[in-house]
Amino acid sequence: MNYVPGTASLIDDIDKKHLVLLRDGRTLIGYLRSIDQFANLVFHQTVERIHVGKKFGDIPRGIFIVRGENVVLLGEIDMDKPSDTVLQQVSIEEILEEQRLQQQSKQETEKVKMLALKDRGLSIPKADNLDEY
Amino acid sequence: MFRFQSLDEDCTLEEEDDGGLIEEEDEINQFNDDTFGAGAIDDDWQEEHKRLTGLQGGTGLGAGLGGGGGMGGKSDLGGAFDSSSSHLHSSAGQLPLPPSLTFSLSSSGLPPPDVEDRAGEGGLAESLARLILEADPAITGVGAAAPPPCSSGSSLCALQGLEQPMVLPQPSSIPHLNQLHQHPHHQLPPGPSSGLPPGLPPSSMLSYQQQQHLLRRGTAPMAQMNSHSIWENSMGFGPVSISLGMVTHMEDSPLMSIINEVGLPARPPQGRSDEGRDLSERVPPPRSSSPVIGSPPVRAVPIGTPPTQPMSHALNHQIHHPTAVHVRAPIQHRYPPPFPERLSPNTLLNIANSPLCRGPFPPGVGPVLSQIQRAQLLNSQMAGFPRGGPAPPLLPGGGFRPFFGGPPPPLAHRMGPPPPHCPPNHTPPIRHNTTHLHPQHRRMLTQRMQNRGVDRGRTGGDRRSRDPYSNLMSQKEKEWVTKIQMMQLQSTDPYLDDYYYQNYYEKMEKRQERERDSSKKEHTTKLITPQVAKVEHTYRPVQFAGSLGKLTVSSVNNPRKMIDAVVTSRTDDEEKREKQVWNKRRQILYTVEKMYSLLLEVQDFEKRFVQAPEEDREALLEQHKGRTLQLCNALREKEWDDRVSDEQCVMIMSVRKGKRLISRLLPFLPSPQAAAVVMAISRNLPALAKKDKQDQVLCWLVEPVAAVIQSLCSSALTDLLQELQGSEGQLASVLHNKFGVTLLYLILSEGERIQSSDANCQLMDDNRWTELVFSVTRELLSVPPSSLSPPLFTPPNLLSLFSRYVDRQRLELLQDKLQITSLSR
Repeated sequence: MNYVPGTASLIDDIDKKHLVLLRDGRTLIGYLRSIDQFANLVFHQTVERIHVGKKFGDIPRGIFIVRGENVVLLGEIDMDKPSDTVLQQVSIEEILEEQRLQQQSKQETEKVKMLALKDRGLSIPKADNLDEY
Repeated sequence: MFRFQSLDEDCTLEEEDDGGLIEEEDEINQFNDDTFGAGAIDDDWQEEHKRLTGLQGGTGLGAGLGGGGGMGGKSDLGGAFDSSSSHLHSSAGQLPLPPSLTFSLSSSGLPPPDVEDRAGEGGLAESLARLILEADPAITGVGAAAPPPCSSGSSLCALQGLEQPMVLPQPSSIPHLNQLHQHPHHQLPPGPSSGLPPGLPPSSMLSYQQQQHLLRRGTAPMAQMNSHSIWENSMGFGPVSISLGMVTHMEDSPLMSIINEVGLPARPPQGRSDEGRDLSERVPPPRSSSPVIGSPPVRAVPIGTPPTQPMSHALNHQIHHPTAVHVRAPIQHRYPPPFPERLSPNTLLNIANSPLCRGPFPPGVGPVLSQIQRAQLLNSQMAGFPRGGPAPPLLPGGGFRPFFGGPPPPLAHRMGPPPPHCPPNHTPPIRHNTTHLHPQHRRMLTQRMQNRGVDRGRTGGDRRSRDPYSNLMSQKEKEWVTKIQMMQLQSTDPYLDDYYYQNYYEKMEKRQERERDSSKKEHTTKLITPQVAKVEHTYRPVQFAGSLGKLTVSSVNNPRKMIDAVVTSRTDDEEKREKQVWNKRRQILYTVEKMYSLLLEVQDFEKRFVQAPEEDREALLEQHKGRTLQLCNALREKEWDDRVSDEQCVMIMSVRKGKRLISRLLPFLPSPQAAAVVMAISRNLPALAKKDKQDQVLCWLVEPVAAVIQSLCSSALTDLLQELQGSEGQLASVLHNKFGVTLLYLILSEGERIQSSDANCQLMDDNRWTELVFSVTRELLSVPPSSLSPPLFTPPNLLSLFSRYVDRQRLELLQDKLQITSLSR
């Protein structure tokens, strides 16, 4: 704010803990150390947080450099605020296992759905999440 | 040797030229550097090449040597050069080594055979190596041209390699040179005291291929070493091997004197390489002047590079006072920072703030001056922070001038407003970089900041001071990003770019005005238009008044318009019409041209005929003539066979050249066609007359037409007269026209002639002629004299004609009108 008043600038967010959601769905939490004009971000002591249901697991990743265009949203984490959530932290292996299971079940349901639709002669095209085209 | 003598001659010339003009050489050096960068070689590459190939016997080793030598460690031996040169002088008879060769050999890792023996020699070799490595390529070039006297032929011979074997390494030097590798700064003692063999050591001679191989390998590691400083040094990769011998005998050369005076370029501070890749060094060397007239000012650093060193005050100034003027990268970029990289935020803030404490603007500030001036006035009035005298641009970590006006808190390095314990009489701080904002907006921001600062200043500050990784992004980097963001905010048309913002604040202002008393004037501040002055960025090429043409200098930056093409937009219809007109005209002209060519051939026939006495030729020519005539006819009768088309004639006649053509053509046409043409003419006379207004060339036709008329038979004549009269009112227009009148007279006179000559002519057979004449006379009488144009000539027998048909009275009238007398012509 003090640098570019009246606008939003990441300068003031430097050295603060942030949570960033990327376009591929990953959630990173880390200290924002550096930015540039494209809003490329440099995170320090980054942790990738995987959420599955009510559980979450943190995978320490170290230093991350995120290209600005891949950021969906970015928010400061208020350290002072009490973090009382219903979420339960589990170990990495567990959360990865949970994630795998989740993916699996999702795929299966998707398969069943497609089969059912096919039987009825309908087809829903798969939504393309990657807006490359 | 002869080669060198030739070089000698060249060199003497060079020396003579350069004798007293050292400055020119410096200038040349400067130009060279500008054009080619720091690696430019000053001398003539051809000479160099000659020298190298000659010396090495065409082996091409010279290049390798040069490369190896040039790329060696750049140690600081500016002083050593002099000493070593003096040493070289003393050791005239000693054998200088091509140290690059030894270098490469050392890098290849040959085992040094006998280190102890050659210890002394190694010293000389090293010093010479240094010498060569540090030598300016210009020196080597000049040195190359310098003639080596035969007395020190040993040195020369060593390097020639022509008749004698290659100078080979003193293997003892290898370990020393290895050290040289690793410790480029290490100043070797010049040690020429050791006695190098005056001749070449035939032992330890490698084969040619091996040498080459070694050299090449040797150069490779060299190249990687200090490539990053390639542009920093003005020293290049000149062929170095030769310089030694040359240097000894170059005492007189002006270049040597320069070097003795000035010394070699200093070694760059070693700290630079420690910093790692300095991005600004990847930039091409700065030019002394912009390459093209009118180009934008040159940036030493590409615009996108993040800052590596603390930005100067100028840059700070820009951040806070965005201008639309081009920014020339501050020169301080290229020099080591005056103070440590990581400063405490306070000091950084002070540095940032210091330019604002100073009154005068740097000269580079652009058109936003008025706003900034106003802002500064505001600041000076409202922000009551203490001011010392004019502060130096870069505050060396001392003085606590707060950023926003207020003594800095002991702990808070947050770039925020002063914490609550600042003196109460302190006025609310003004942000200097908010000049473009609406004052209301600014006030709101200030309040907001203060509130937030009160709440969180302390805790944030505490936390951040404990974080060891904080401030990885330095102040100048933040400012740099901010600068870019601010630049993006600049707008020449705020209502276009930021409509809602403008409107919102306008409304707010109005609302406040309504709410407040009108007496409170001080609150109604004038709206500072947050607008950057529109700077004309369109390039206008340099034009000199009174010069012909444009400047020939053009480049990518200022391309020159080659053609001043002006686009005239016309509607389609207009264009079509115009095109049609032009097409038709072109067609007519084309036809005319074709006919002309034929006509000319026909006209020239006679000449040719005369010149060709042979009968064959005559026959051919006859044929030719016939052909051309036919062609002429064919051209005419486009639409119907054997009939002269009216339209064609008229078309042709519409062009001046066509009229001339017809006039020339008529005599060559067979009589019926000629008659037809004349008929066509008379039929269309009004139209032709109209078209002829500008040219007035119809009268050319009189003579041929007269001739034709005279050949006409009576019926044809009658027809002609009838045609001439044509429709109603045609005769009037005919009479209006000179040619028309003349034609009429011609016809009448012809008729009269026929009548008078031949008593029982056919003219009288039908009444047509009589009637026509009557009508003519009637017309002549009725036409006002003004509209009757005088003919070219008046045939004399008109009077007798008229006397036949009209009574006395009218005859007299006619006589007066037409001024026809029996003698008129």
